[in-house]
Amino acid sequence: MNDTAERKLILCHLWVAFAAFIVACFMGEYQVLERSGLLPILESPSVYFASVSTHGVLMAFVLTTFFIMGFGYAIASSSLKQPIWNKPLAWGAFWLALFGVVLAAVPLLSGKASVLYTFYPPMVGHAAFYIGATLLVIGSWIWCAIMLIMFTQWKKANPSQNVPLAMFATAANALLWLWASAGVALEVLFQLIPLSLGWTDTIDPGLARTLFAWTLHPIVYFWLIPAYTAFYVFVPKQAGGFLFSDEMARMAFIVLAVFALPIGFHHLYMDPEQASGWKLLHGIGTFIVALPTLVTGFTVIASLEIAGRLRGGKGLFGWLGTLPWGNPMVLAVILSLLMLIFGGFGGIVNASYAMNAMVHNTAWVPGHFHLIFAGTTVIMYFAVAYYLWPLLVRKPLFSNQLALLQLWTWFIGMSILTTPWHVLGLLGQPRRISTVVYNNLLTLAWKPYELMMIFGGLILLGSACLLVYNLVKTQLTPYAEHFTDEIDYAEPIHKVGVLPEYLNGLTVWNKVIAVLMAISFGFPILQFFFMDTFGSSAWGN
Amino acid sequence: MEQLTEEERKRIIESSPVGTFALMVAVVGGMVIAWLFLYYGVFLPRG
Repeated sequence: MNDTAERKLILCHLWVAFAAFIVACFMGEYQVLERSGLLPILESPSVYFASVSTHGVLMAFVLTTFFIMGFGYAIASSSLKQPIWNKPLAWGAFWLALFGVVLAAVPLLSGKASVLYTFYPPMVGHAAFYIGATLLVIGSWIWCAIMLIMFTQWKKANPSQNVPLAMFATAANALLWLWASAGVALEVLFQLIPLSLGWTDTIDPGLARTLFAWTLHPIVYFWLIPAYTAFYVFVPKQAGGFLFSDEMARMAFIVLAVFALPIGFHHLYMDPEQASGWKLLHGIGTFIVALPTLVTGFTVIASLEIAGRLRGGKGLFGWLGTLPWGNPMVLAVILSLLMLIFGGFGGIVNASYAMNAMVHNTAWVPGHFHLIFAGTTVIMYFAVAYYLWPLLVRKPLFSNQLALLQLWTWFIGMSILTTPWHVLGLLGQPRRISTVVYNNLLTLAWKPYELMMIFGGLILLGSACLLVYNLVKTQLTPYAEHFTDEIDYAEPIHKVGVLPEYLNGLTVWNKVIAVLMAISFGFPILQFFFMDTFGSSAWGN
Repeated sequence: MEQLTEEERKRIIESSPVGTFALMVAVVGGMVIAWLFLYYGVFLPRG
């Protein structure tokens, strides 16, 4: 990335992402404190739910969207070795998305959109929240268009070459997001905005929940794919080895993009508006999408094993000890995979049709998604930031030791936070509650776990501050020498020949997605227009 | 880092990742056992 304009564009996106992240971390710690009842002065359900909603929006929508956009621009410009297509449009998308965030922040912070960052009517927030969220999504759609145009143009200009793996993954993610976001876009445009503006009197919650389920699961893979991209294209090189298989990586991204979409009804297992057959179909798809994660785990660990053996590791597991644990990217991927094992197990329990009844709407669920999102995914965002920041600001990282400390504390803090959360779910604590101080034997048994969560949250907050401190110091500390490092992509073990179109393009997979979506969501959505349903009045703000 | 001959390097790169296979078997096996424990030990006893 020699171009100053590209670097500025990427940095601005990443700074918005991490600014949102640090604010959200303070809110997270406040929430566990408030919920525990340890400090009565903090107790306020209205402030608590405003904070939960803002925390969720900042983490799940702002951190992710801006990080993914910035990361995508970095991948596109460096892997394709060309400038970003239509930079004014990219800046337009940035400002539009940022304006959307500011617009949504007003009702969120004033308690007018305490809808728990979900889109589940009849709970309805202020219209500015939905309009702001829409602008953020439109900004991300422009990013998708830029990524897919760059992907297509490069393919046309280089017909005898394979698209670089990193760009293939980024384009697959853009395609996934265009499909995924369509569900919630329909819900917000045709149901929530009209209702919140008073243009309609009632809303069909069944239809709304079905449309939100369309988005709700693939959005997780939209967040996760950049982490997987870093797994495949950065980690093997950083560990001193090679990527085990380029083709397996492409197949994993394809299966993720295709099968992440038609499976959202596992969020509706307990809902009455969809028949059990449709839920079972989506449940089976949910287990299929576990396969690319297993493939990713295998490929990345195999790449690490080769690196460890090239560094002198012997025996079945001796290579683990010779890996460069002092490299933030390598440390992060190991910690990320550890959290993925436990988070993935929780996900399998959620997806199990019968057992879901045991954990549905309990504290288990936020425990699970914090482990997968804030653990597995976000720790790789940190690693990417530590890797990209020196290349973007043309200065070495302020402190590698601080980065390692930050990654370890994030892992330890997340483990201490989420383990009791899962246990509380099994003990029956509901999610989405602002207090647990009912003073009976059941809730008193929850107390030690709540205290553990406060401690875990404090470690996480300290870790988040370390991250931002390191990035700020990297950017602001004067550095005399000219720093010219570039992004270094991992090479596969075996040179990849010319790949078939299905491993080098997305057109055929786009058609497969269209068919699968028509099968899995066609009738479940159309049924709302065939049968008499009775709307619900808005509830909330 | 150990200095490897070109032959050793080639052998490592072309060898099967046995450690990875072992780890994957352990992880998947552990998940199956944990799932069974949760199903038969926690879920079913709750009725």
